[in-house]
Amino acid sequence: MALLELQGVTKSFGGLMANYDISFSIEKGELVGLIGPNGAGKTTLFNCISGVFPLSSGKIFFDGEDITRLKAHEVARKGLARTFQVYVASGDMTVLENVMVGCFMHTRSRSKAKSTARQILDDLRIGDLSEALVHELPVASQKRVTMATAIATKPKLLMLDEVAAGLNPGEIEEIMGSIRHLHDDLGMTVILIEHVMELVMKISHRIVVLDYGRKIAEGPPEAVSRDPSVVKAYLGERYAQDSTVDGG
Amino acid sequence: MEVLNSAFDFKDFPRLDLTIAALVAVFLAFFPVLPHSSFAMATVIQFLMFSLYGMGWNTIGGYGGQVDLGKAQYVGIGAYTTAVMLTKWDISFWFSMPVGVCFSVLWSFILGYPLFRLKGHYFAIATIATSLVLKDLFEVWDFVGAARGIEISPIQFPSPDFIRLIFKEDVYYYYLILIFFFIGILYMNWFRKSRLGFQLRAIKDNEEVARSLGINVHWAKIRTYAIATAFVSVVGSFHACYIKNIEPEDTMSLDISILIALMAMLGGAGSLWGPIIGAGILIPLKSYLKEWLGARAGLIGIDLIIYALIIMAISAFEPRGIWGIVQKIRRRRR
Ligand SMILES: Nc1ncnc2c1ncn2[C@@H]1O[C@H](COP(=O)(O)OP(=O)(O)OP(=O)(O)O)[C@@H](O)[C@H]1O
Ligand SMILES: [Mg+2]
Repeated sequence: MALLELQGVTKSFGGLMANYDISFSIEKGELVGLIGPNGAGKTTLFNCISGVFPLSSGKIFFDGEDITRLKAHEVARKGLARTFQVYVASGDMTVLENVMVGCFMHTRSRSKAKSTARQILDDLRIGDLSEALVHELPVASQKRVTMATAIATKPKLLMLDEVAAGLNPGEIEEIMGSIRHLHDDLGMTVILIEHVMELVMKISHRIVVLDYGRKIAEGPPEAVSRDPSVVKAYLGERYAQDSTVDGG
Repeated sequence: MEVLNSAFDFKDFPRLDLTIAALVAVFLAFFPVLPHSSFAMATVIQFLMFSLYGMGWNTIGGYGGQVDLGKAQYVGIGAYTTAVMLTKWDISFWFSMPVGVCFSVLWSFILGYPLFRLKGHYFAIATIATSLVLKDLFEVWDFVGAARGIEISPIQFPSPDFIRLIFKEDVYYYYLILIFFFIGILYMNWFRKSRLGFQLRAIKDNEEVARSLGINVHWAKIRTYAIATAFVSVVGSFHACYIKNIEPEDTMSLDISILIALMAMLGGAGSLWGPIIGAGILIPLKSYLKEWLGARAGLIGIDLIIYALIIMAISAFEPRGIWGIVQKIRRRRR
């Protein structure tokens, strides 16, 4: 049984079909990439799965349970954690306190929350930032903090929305290392959005491609990167024709 | 057990803060035996009461970031419950006070459920409106004396009466509210470190993120609003016995609601000491201004002008008030 299964997920904003009839599933232990050009509907799909938006139609099953109509906090409690593409930490919470909020999903005890939060921060190698205020940190560190906070809820599925966007190559390498660690060493199931294809190609087992709200391709990275419709979506109609001409 | 440990654990504050807090506590404990005027005594009692109102406000308004400008309605519910039960049926404060809390909390649930669907300014305005409506209702409700209010006539009760809380000398009221004040601090010290306290701060930071961490944002706000309400209602009950003459106009007026919020914001919304610092500045200021301006009736609006200036200063310079400034300086030093 798949851990997450989408059946014909559709979400429209007025006349705009941000997601249209999207179906795919994720098995336990997989690391799946969700890619697509700007405005393809990736973030919207995350919002649909995590209960931020009600679906226009379609169904979502998680761990064998229908979660289509659950609210965001209920979905989170089922074991689905996510990060946000645009994250504004405005408040006065320290990094440690932020992660503790995640830990409090499973305990009332502050000391337990604190020690778990410390562990997670050390594990992501940002233990030295514990006492810093989140909004004073550079973007790269903030992204790791949001990951740490999500992990603190002990999710069965971790959904990451562009955690590498806006980072320099060195920082990207580091954060990809962290994601691999979560997956390989801690056995977490992960789905990550990136719109830079190369990046996801390297670490994903499988890739789902969206364009204009539709799923246009799905499969192992090598196959997807050669798929003409994907090439077309990313590089425009002309390039796709040229490359098929070249290839033939 | 962990609750008590946490309530008594102030170790995360620097030694300087704890020393100041201890000195203030000792001063408050011995204030009545020091030479003082009855005016000063009344002012310090007001300070303690408003600190408690502010602590209550601080849960939802400070930690939760939901600006509540309708706390006076719960002062009224607490005060009226105690006054009515005492004057009509001669019921003890120690019974009427918890009954008042129940009424207040019930009312807070009825209001909180729809009000917390509103965001930001709309929420603030709605709290003002509900408070004013409740005040208007009390003004025409004959059972509670309508606009005349209720007078608790001390002649009926020989003093000192610890059951009904009717004393001739203010010093009894003083020590009672001082005990409430210390309990309030311990409760808030636990609250800020509790799960709910953390969840509220997350909500204030970003509601969408809070939801993604499994927090039922709506319910967390309603619960916290009930806690804030309970604080205010207890002091409202005390207010009835202390003032002995309650009218809708002065127990439930908008001034009270605004003063409660303003004090907490001036001292530092979302911090343990903020409401106390705010009350420590504004309450003496208010009572001495009133005393000083008593003769100059034409200048009476001056306290409102001062409030307005404070609001502007807070929003322009430091939304987290005086405590926010202190914290900033400390962070820079490190
Ligand atoms: N709340 C909303 N209301 C109306 N339209 C929306 C809303 N959220 C997203 N959209 C629209 O839905 C489409 C898909 O947006 P979405 O944010 O899901 O794209 P994305 O694939 O995440 O893009 P990016 O790579 O830029 O993050 C866009 O046209 C966007 O304008
Ligand atoms: Mg997006």
